[in-house]
Amino acid sequence: MRTIAALFARSPFGPLLEHTERVHQTVELVPELFEAFTASDWSRVQEVYERISRLEHKADEVKNDIRDHLPSSLFMPVDRGDLLLFLKEQDAIADRAEDLAVLLTMRQTPTPDGLREPLAAFVDQVVRTSELWYETASALPTLQEASFAGPEVDKTLERIKRISDYEWEADKRQAETTRAVLAREEELGAVSVIFWMRILATLGDIANRAENTADRLRLMLARR
Amino acid sequence: MDLGSGLLVVTLIGGAYMAWNIGANDVANAMGTSVGSGALTLKKAIILAAIFEFLGALLVGSHVTDTIRKGIVEVSLFAPTGPAGADGPLLLALGMLAALISAGAWLHVATHLALPVSTTHSIVGAVVGIGVATFGLAGVDWGTMLEIVLSWFASPVLGALLGFLTFVFIRRRILQSEDPAGASRKIGPYLVGLVVTIIFLSFIYKALKNVIEAPPFALAVGVSLALGAVATLASRPLIKRADAHPGGPYEHVERMFAVLQVATAIFVAFAHGANDVANAVGPLASVVTLARTGFQEIATTVPVPLWVLLLGGVGIVLGLATLGYRVIETVGRQITEMTPTRGFCAEFGAAATVLIASRMGIPVSTTHTLVGGVIGVGLAQGMAALNMRVVRNIIASWLATVPIAAAFSMTIYFVLRAIVF
Repeated sequence: MRTIAALFARSPFGPLLEHTERVHQTVELVPELFEAFTASDWSRVQEVYERISRLEHKADEVKNDIRDHLPSSLFMPVDRGDLLLFLKEQDAIADRAEDLAVLLTMRQTPTPDGLREPLAAFVDQVVRTSELWYETASALPTLQEASFAGPEVDKTLERIKRISDYEWEADKRQAETTRAVLAREEELGAVSVIFWMRILATLGDIANRAENTADRLRLMLARR
Repeated sequence: MDLGSGLLVVTLIGGAYMAWNIGANDVANAMGTSVGSGALTLKKAIILAAIFEFLGALLVGSHVTDTIRKGIVEVSLFAPTGPAGADGPLLLALGMLAALISAGAWLHVATHLALPVSTTHSIVGAVVGIGVATFGLAGVDWGTMLEIVLSWFASPVLGALLGFLTFVFIRRRILQSEDPAGASRKIGPYLVGLVVTIIFLSFIYKALKNVIEAPPFALAVGVSLALGAVATLASRPLIKRADAHPGGPYEHVERMFAVLQVATAIFVAFAHGANDVANAVGPLASVVTLARTGFQEIATTVPVPLWVLLLGGVGIVLGLATLGYRVIETVGRQITEMTPTRGFCAEFGAAATVLIASRMGIPVSTTHTLVGGVIGVGLAQGMAALNMRVVRNIIASWLATVPIAAAFSMTIYFVLRAIVF
């Protein structure tokens, strides 16, 4: 009888992994974005922005699809609310990446030489944080297979702890870069300073969101 | 052709129709989850289902027939000296025919509407309808009926409990261990032994009952345990030798359980054949016996002739071959989230429950017992997502099927009576 089949709702874990992949693709383009920006290659900045924007839109579609197929009558091994909050935070990573890309297309601002080094280190640390988030979040189907218990959970919790360390490191890089910008106040001019500050804040927010997503995953695991 | 042989021929067709519907409907239970988890291809699933449904029907089928035929409606009421008058035996035959047609037709309709209806519940409802139509409410043994209804609720609970415990064991011992692949190598052979023991226990103790005297329970247990031990020892080198799966430790575990899942799927097919063939064969056997006495006498115990069981088994296989494959395909495609570990636990819980129930002569629904097994694994937090609304529909179908089948069979019964008398 079809009853047996009807009992199985569509698992959210497969589409969640797809969402993780899509969001990760947007973050992967961030180094290229800064490469173009610091080289004052404005047409390439525009081109990278368009790619990020398309990817962010695809991530949104997956997000909406997951939400559409998550009625409250589902019985899942994790809390439905935790899962939705995780999805929301994860989606915000892609949103921030897009915000950053838009921002960089807004104003043709040259990068002073003294800024290059701390900026590169900051970008690098944000990317490392989000890479670790990606590694953690894409283990979700494996966690489900292991029924959210055992060594897989310990591995994930250990990674989540490391993400928080990485994010803290990213905060320090952000402060360093901000200091480098403010040290060149006169040379850059007020508008450029404010513009740079916004760029750095948005970039730092990508790491914040990656950490938040990981924290949501931690809550999902801790509630059990 | 006189009335008696005409009636017999029509009843044979009715019984075959019911068996065909059982095959078309229910076989997906046994095989759908295995196809869904990728443990079996559709073609292999059909062939295995056909073989083991047939064997189950033929070898074990007769155990369950009694309760449906006699237990619900007191057959002695239909004696020529009883309240139904001299035509009592003929009325009983018409009633059984009406029950077969109505249960078969109700299943047919339900399949088209994709309603979660149980073949067992349909035939029980139909027989109740006949009892009420002939003798009023007093014609039904409500005590037995209550027992049956309680078993409908008890059997999914038991299936859920067994599914739950099996999954908790596998999770603790294999999935949560530091080395899932190594743990499955260690525990796998014992699980093979356990499955073999239970399959052979039911096979020896029940299946051969029609062929030879049943051996004492202790002997049957002893032989089954010995066979299980042999299976454990034989499978150990095979399981140990299996290379680590490139897809990781969980892939390795799942691949091993795919084999065990096929074994339990066969077990479910066998149990289903054993349990559900009675739904077609019970009323049919009753009419066959009545026809033999020229509708003059009521026998208190009715033997089920082997050829009647054979007809039931062939009917089920035909239903499976003509329509069942499509249901299995649909079910298999829809439950892509099923993995062999989960499938094994759910099927193991269900099959064990069905065999215990059919051993006790209680008609249970195979479908709903398997649903119980799946829910049990879900409660142990093994399933990705279960649709609890469907559980509600299933309970609703328990409550609805019996009155609908009863009303259906009463109508057909009155029509048949108007034709004959």
